[in-house]
Parts: sequence; structure tokens; C-alpha cells
Amino acid sequence: MKLAALIKKEFHRFFHDPRLIVTILLPGIVIYLLYSVLGNFIGSESDYSFRVYLKGESAATALIEQLSGEHEIEWLQAESSEQAIEEVKAGRASAYLVFPENFDALVFGQADLADLPVVNLYYSTSDDGAGEAFYALASTVLQSYGARFTLVPHNFMSETDMGRMIMQNLLPMLVVTFVFSACMSVTLESVAGEKERGTLTTILATSVKRPDIALGKILPLSCIAALGAASSFLGVLLSLPKLMGLNLNTLLSSYGFSSYLLMFLSILSLVPFIVALISLVSAFSKSVKEASAYTSVVMIAMIVVSLVSAFASDFGVWVAFVPILNFVAAVQQLLSGGMPVLLCLLSIGMNLVYTAVLVLIVSWMLSNERIMFGK
Amino acid sequence: MSDIIQENEFDREIVRAENLKKTFSLSRKQQKIDRTSIKRKVAVDGLSFSAYRGEIYGLLGPNGAGKTTTLRMLSTLISPDEGDAFVMGHSVKHEAAKVRDCIGFMTGDLKLEGFFTPDYLFDFFGAMHGVDKKFLAERKKQLFSKFGIDRFALVRVADLSTGMAQKVSLVVSIVHDPDVVIFDEPTNGLDVLTAKVVTDFLSDLKDMGKSVLLSTHIFSLVEKLCDRVGIIIDGKMSAEGSLQSVCEGKTLEERFFEIYQSQKGDIL
Repeated sequence: MKLAALIKKEFHRFFHDPRLIVTILLPGIVIYLLYSVLGNFIGSESDYSFRVYLKGESAATALIEQLSGEHEIEWLQAESSEQAIEEVKAGRASAYLVFPENFDALVFGQADLADLPVVNLYYSTSDDGAGEAFYALASTVLQSYGARFTLVPHNFMSETDMGRMIMQNLLPMLVVTFVFSACMSVTLESVAGEKERGTLTTILATSVKRPDIALGKILPLSCIAALGAASSFLGVLLSLPKLMGLNLNTLLSSYGFSSYLLMFLSILSLVPFIVALISLVSAFSKSVKEASAYTSVVMIAMIVVSLVSAFASDFGVWVAFVPILNFVAAVQQLLSGGMPVLLCLLSIGMNLVYTAVLVLIVSWMLSNERIMFGK
Repeated sequence: MSDIIQENEFDREIVRAENLKKTFSLSRKQQKIDRTSIKRKVAVDGLSFSAYRGEIYGLLGPNGAGKTTTLRMLSTLISPDEGDAFVMGHSVKHEAAKVRDCIGFMTGDLKLEGFFTPDYLFDFFGAMHGVDKKFLAERKKQLFSKFGIDRFALVRVADLSTGMAQKVSLVVSIVHDPDVVIFDEPTNGLDVLTAKVVTDFLSDLKDMGKSVLLSTHIFSLVEKLCDRVGIIIDGKMSAEGSLQSVCEGKTLEERFFEIYQSQKGDIL
């Protein structure tokens, strides 16, 4: 009953203050606008048509044509593989698709295959984004075409592509930053603010248990900050197609529901951890100003960790035990088309364990008179 | 016969402080202000006293004497370095939650969130003390009406006058109908009308059989309200007992300065 009243109070405080609601929803709007503008600079979604060199035959090409929607596909025959690849590299062709001989017969035949046939897809995203879009389209179609072959993509990056790749790598860092901001805006005011104003002492003078007070702060603040995180996530989701020069449906189908679900759960597990961490810093600080200063340092440290790790690769499973780094690694792998289920689930579990530990520390701090009442 | 009197007195004893001691570290800034190199200051130095059921006990002393520190120890916000105190038989050191359940504590350090209304805060702190909802509704009606808060029940505390906000703090501190009420400087910063309402209420609490422990530096308040008084100077109990026995036929003010001068020399 006491915990419920504490939780209710935090929600009441937030949902009856329009200014706080705006500060929570703002990051999503900002991220959407920012990414959309960046996407327009890098290369907007265009009315491109695909020029695709084709070698070999497959009914899959008809399926690709059907699903290409309003984008026309011009199938070209190359004089040689070298010429087709040169055309792709130069950006004069969207892609070069190579099916092995008797591909459909092999894929749909009954015979046991010693080696799976290989489909090669060469592409290079030119400034109009057609190459990458064709890759997303073709890979989606081919994934539904059966499991008895291997698709090997070959991407020739241009400088623009590199820019996009960098943005993809920066995305986890941006999400960490926006989630941190969402957590910071509600937690500093609620914990350090209450301590500074003396209203937290009034609660401490009652018989409510200290762990209840800590949970009564961290649980509702996490829910509120999760709204901010969801807002950021939606902002990313809606602006990413513009950034990558794709349409939303193509992007959704290229990552898949489970990728988005894991990404969202990873963000959700990050929220209580950051809220608990800021609560700890706030409980330690004497004022909101002091807490803001300490929290800014924590935020910079987190940004540096996520920025550096965004450009690193080949993390082992150990990364799941390192907060923030585990989130960046998981999202990075999800964005690159992987499905790191074990890493994601381990990371989510570890984030919750760390949150529980932080709740216990905050409870102890609330009982410590030097921390709570020290001048 | 004397055993029977002692037993009755023990039964009536509602607060017992035993050799309470509390020291604080001085910051460098504070050391400069105090022009001292001493790093620790003894705020309360071996304080012992008893307060009894149905009485008002006043801790009288100048600023910095250790009154607020003593009350904070009794309300379990801070813990004594040495000694212990018992409220309704519960140790402030070892049974803090039980002590908090049976006291109502009001001090200038305890603030109410300006964003909320008195109505919301009363219910919230009722829940914090685990008060039954039906009882809470009746008590809210009774106390809000008594203090004239009912007309402002749905106005945010931040928008209330200082006096009205103080009244709200008062009713919130006794939302759970505690047996012991501890007030630190209850009339500080109040206008004369609100101060009268508060002092009258303290008398009412006594009439209801509640025990009140208050700290003040106002002689008239002690003379008007208190049955027993303890004079604290430099964290030590300089005189303690019934108002008559402490005053020794003089006014409380005369007696206080007599004690003060005997211990500290000059007043300034």
C-alpha cells in the first residue's frame, strides 16, 4: 500500500504537469527531425528505377519485380562479370545478381545437395540509394524463396555509403544519449530536487521502509522515462528510412519484427538501469545543480563508451556483462542484420540485475544520515 | 509506597533520553566562520531527560544549543553517536520504524511538495503511515475544518500563504493521530493569528491525552504551555524538571539568564 502510494505520487506529479510531458516526448520529435534532415542531406528517397545486371535465371526475378512496387526494374545482360561489376562500382547500375546454373531446379529439387548453391549480389549504394534499396528488396524476396541456397552480398561502398554506415554505427550511441536525457530530465528533479527542497525528508520521517522509497522512485520514473525512450525509438524508426533512402516497408521487412522487438526490449532494459544510476548520483548530491554536474560527467562517459564501441567489432558474449556496452553491441548487431538473441537476452537480464543492485545502494543511501542530511 | 510512585511514573514515561551524544564534522568553511581549527563539533553532549504522558515538555535554549539535533534524534532522522532514547518504549537506535509510527514530527526542515494540494498530501501521508481510509477521511474533515484548510484543500501548497502552508504541514504531521507529537520551533515564522491557532492546538493535544515535546527559544511559549522544561546550553542539560522547580520562584527568563551566566559568563 505504501509502495503503491509512492508510485502513484510520482505518476501524479508527472502526468499533471504538461511541461514534464513535453520534456519527455521532445527527444523523439527532435531525433525524427534531425535524422530526416540528415537523410535529406545524404540522399533522399527517390523515384529511382533499378538497373540490374543479371546472370543466370530464376523465377525469383519475377517475384522481385512484383514486390518492387512503383520502382521499375531494368534487367540487363552483361558482356562479362568484370564489366557488370565495374558498372555497379561506378554507380551506373544498381546491382549485379548472379544465379548459379539450374538454380530453381536445385533449390526446389528433391536431390540432396552436398554444397548449397550460392547467389551473389553485387551492389553499391549510389547517391540515390537505389543499390541499397535493391539489396533490401532482393534479400527479402530471396529469404522467402527457400533455405536451400546461400545469398552472398558484396557491397562496394562509396563515400556516401560510408556516411550512411557511420550513421548506422552512431545510432546506438544516439539512442543511449536520448534515453539518458529522458531519464535525466525526470530523475534529477524527482530525487535531487526532492532532497534539495526537503520534501524527501518529510517522507523519511514516516515509517515507510527505505527500499520502498527507492523503488517508489525508480519504478515509476523508469516507466515515465520509458515513454521518452519509446518516443526516441519511434523517432529513430520513422526517420531511418529517410536517412537510408528507403521506404518504411522495405526497411521494416529488411530487419524483421523480432529484430525490432529485441531492440525495443534492449532499450527498455537500459531505462531502469540509467534511472537507478541517476537516482544514486542524485541521492548523493546536495542539490539539483550538483547532481546535474555529476550526471553530465556520467553521460559523457556513457557517450564515449558507446561511441568507441560502435566502431569496434567482434565482441564476445562477455560484453553482455558490461552495461551500456552490451546495449550498443546488441543494437549494432541487430542493425547489421544479425539476430543476437543470446546477447540481447543476457544483456537485458544483466541490466535488470544491475538495476536491482543500484536500488539496494540507493536504499542504503536513504538510510545514511551523512548522505541525506550532511551539510 | 515509594516503589508504587516510581512504578506509576515509569508507566507514564513516554519519552526517555539516556545520555544522548551527537557530534558533527565541521567543514573548512564552517571552521573559518567559527574561527576554530577543531574539526568536530559536539552538538549534544550527554543529554538525559524524561517526558510523561499527557504533558507538554519544552526544550529551551539559544540557537545552536542542540535542541533541533535532539529532536531529530528522537524522530530517528539521525542516530545518536552515544546513548539511546526510547519513545513509547521503542529504541530510536534499534526500532526506528516503530518510533516513527507513534510520533508526529514537525520541523522547518520538513517541507511539503508545492505542486500538490493539501487534500492530496493528507491522503498521501496517511498512506505513508498506513492509516485506514475511512479513518483518514474522517480525520481530514475534522482537521481541515479545525484549521480552516477546507476552503484551500484543492489549492496547490505553492499557492498558499505561509501561515496556511504551515497549518497544512502541521495537520500532515499528525495525520496518523500519533501519541507523541514532536514540534521543533512550532511558532517560528508564523503570524500572530496562526501562532495562536498552533499554540491552542498544542493545548488541545494535551487535553486529548497526547504527549507533546517541543523546542523553542521563546520564554512565554514555555510558560504558557509546558508542564516540564529542560534548559539546554552548549548541548548539555543545564536544568530540568517541572516549570515551578526550574524557575525557583523567578520568571523563566530571569532564571534562564541566571543559569546561562553561571555557565557561560557574559551573555554576549
